[in-house]
Amino acid sequence: MKVGVPRALSYYRYFPLWKSLLEGMGAQVVLSSPTGDKLLENGVRHCVDDICVPVKLFYGHVLDVADKCDVLFVPRLVSIEKAEVDTYTCPKLIGLPDMVKSSIEGIPPMVEFVVDIQERSIRSSARRLATELGMPHARARGALADALLVQASYEQRLLAGVTPEKAMKEVLGNGNGEGKKDASAGRPAGSRARPRDVRIALVGHEYLIHDYYISHNLPAKLERFGAEVTYMAEVPVDVIERELARYPGISWSYEKELLGAASHFLGREDIDGVMLVMGFACGPDSIIGEIITREVLTDDSAPLTTLVLDEHTGAAGVETRVEAFVDLIRRARNRS
Amino acid sequence: MKVSFPHMGNAYIPLSALLSNLGADVIVPPRPTRKTIDMGALHAPEFVCLPFKVNLGDNLRALQMGSDTLAMVSGMWACRFGYYGRVQHQILRDVGFEFDSILLGRDGLGKVYNKFRDTVDGSLLRGWAHAVRSFKHKAEGMDALEKAARKMRPFERERGSASAALAQGLALLDEARTIKGTDVVLREALAVIDSLETDEPAEVPLKIAVVGEIYAVLEPALNFDIERQLGEMGIMAYPVMSVYKWLFRPLKIDPSILVDERLARRIAKPYIAYVLGGEEHQTITGTIRAARRGYDGVIHLYPFTCMPENICRTILPQVEAEFDIPVLNLCLDEHASPAGMATRLEAFVDLLRERRRR
Repeated sequence: MKVGVPRALSYYRYFPLWKSLLEGMGAQVVLSSPTGDKLLENGVRHCVDDICVPVKLFYGHVLDVADKCDVLFVPRLVSIEKAEVDTYTCPKLIGLPDMVKSSIEGIPPMVEFVVDIQERSIRSSARRLATELGMPHARARGALADALLVQASYEQRLLAGVTPEKAMKEVLGNGNGEGKKDASAGRPAGSRARPRDVRIALVGHEYLIHDYYISHNLPAKLERFGAEVTYMAEVPVDVIERELARYPGISWSYEKELLGAASHFLGREDIDGVMLVMGFACGPDSIIGEIITREVLTDDSAPLTTLVLDEHTGAAGVETRVEAFVDLIRRARNRS
Repeated sequence: MKVSFPHMGNAYIPLSALLSNLGADVIVPPRPTRKTIDMGALHAPEFVCLPFKVNLGDNLRALQMGSDTLAMVSGMWACRFGYYGRVQHQILRDVGFEFDSILLGRDGLGKVYNKFRDTVDGSLLRGWAHAVRSFKHKAEGMDALEKAARKMRPFERERGSASAALAQGLALLDEARTIKGTDVVLREALAVIDSLETDEPAEVPLKIAVVGEIYAVLEPALNFDIERQLGEMGIMAYPVMSVYKWLFRPLKIDPSILVDERLARRIAKPYIAYVLGGEEHQTITGTIRAARRGYDGVIHLYPFTCMPENICRTILPQVEAEFDIPVLNLCLDEHASPAGMATRLEAFVDLLRERRRR
């Protein structure tokens, strides 16, 4: 059986887990093609106008993979951490299968993988997935154990600063990453001559930053202007927890990471600037961005800039912003 | 203590009764207008939802009128509304205002309870008990008046008379100082609305359900008073929610509201399997019920970028097709105009009339 996985949203975070789990259960995994003009256009056409661009991209990827597979895999992330208070991901991630089911016609049947750590264990979610796929439960258990190991080693690599697709290639072998744009591979040879004298931290959802089509190759652009890029995934969980103790009362798990990482980077001596990357119309980001700029940022912290991306953002616009930000940091340094 | 809070339909009437009975001076900012929205939008994050901007504008106006305490409900929800108080108050402090915050839900009940220790004369517990009683009476009175006016509007002989009687009744209700006085005022105001001159309409009026994000449905400043507009076009417009329900739902003392919520979740379950943190269940269930009860159409109102309602917006076309009921989706933001709204309403009503004729 061929299971289609859209290359969007939680793909960037959990694909090694999904893939090993599905393959362990005996399914064959098909991935949608990397984001492109046609794919985005398709997604936008099938989506409500004022929803955020990552969801539009998800629609595009669903449509892209739909005719290559027998069943469609759509994760439903409800809660991803066990805490005393209620935690959520984002309403759109919770309602994603509902949206896809009722607004796209002619797609293969859908299997949901529900992650609701507050209410059910990941093992029971895996069993349910096995039932939906018509696989024996006994297989789910072993497959899950293996998949969690793969996922752990993937996260280990992210923590060391490897980009998601490189890390996936290392963990899963070469099977999934054919012909995709790699941030570091696409770098022109000449740029190596330039010393990397500025260190910039990128804070934002990985499905924006690492979808190099929608982020217009943001990490590579930064590197071209002589910046060394540090990703949010490099901040260990305990550091984020420690930072968050100063800013309590947030229930969105992913945005908590954004807040904790931003606070960590802004307080670090060796980080010269922080770039906050947001998707237009992203609900949680609109609030968290405001909390970061108003509660976390002080007069002494490193400069912070906000980059808002959507399907109309032009490459030149991103380039100008990046160049200006890097120049500003250099000039400030030379003056002091 | 000069306390203020953002507007939500006529909720200011019971809320000011509650706070003034606790000994606080209540400052009610003017009803939100375009100016309020512009003031809020100036300081708010760019793509935050519209209610945030309106509330922020309300708070700004209240502070300019001299309030020193701002109250707001707050909590840790999936919807952004839970963070309004925290972020708005921070923005206002950055603008340069100094004030005290009451974040109901975040501060814990004890802290809010004790906040009024200095303002209440005599026993604090008795003060609260009385304040809650008058809050309840005024809320019920407000709800009764709104319902009466809603029923009368499509049939009134003189356009606007029901709304005028409603406004007058609400003003008197707001002024009533005692619980007895509240009841007397309510009886009189209801009698005034009931005695308005009516005309027998030429045809059975169209029935439209109004669903969507709760603030967009209930705040006339945001939806250009859609209930009144439709009513005065001779149409029965029923919002699926009310300010009364909104006020009493979190208190969990009215069993009918709790039962209704449960039922709504169950009916919406095939379309939205999990709680999203907004009014999504009421939107989906409201549409299904409207179809089952023979309504002619549904109007779905939601603010630009609203997360739960955008998901509903995606799912509603399926409900619309399955239950064969026309749905008009209206997205509201600070650039929406009354003329644009009126045109779309008119077109929708024409469509419904035509549909009924067939």
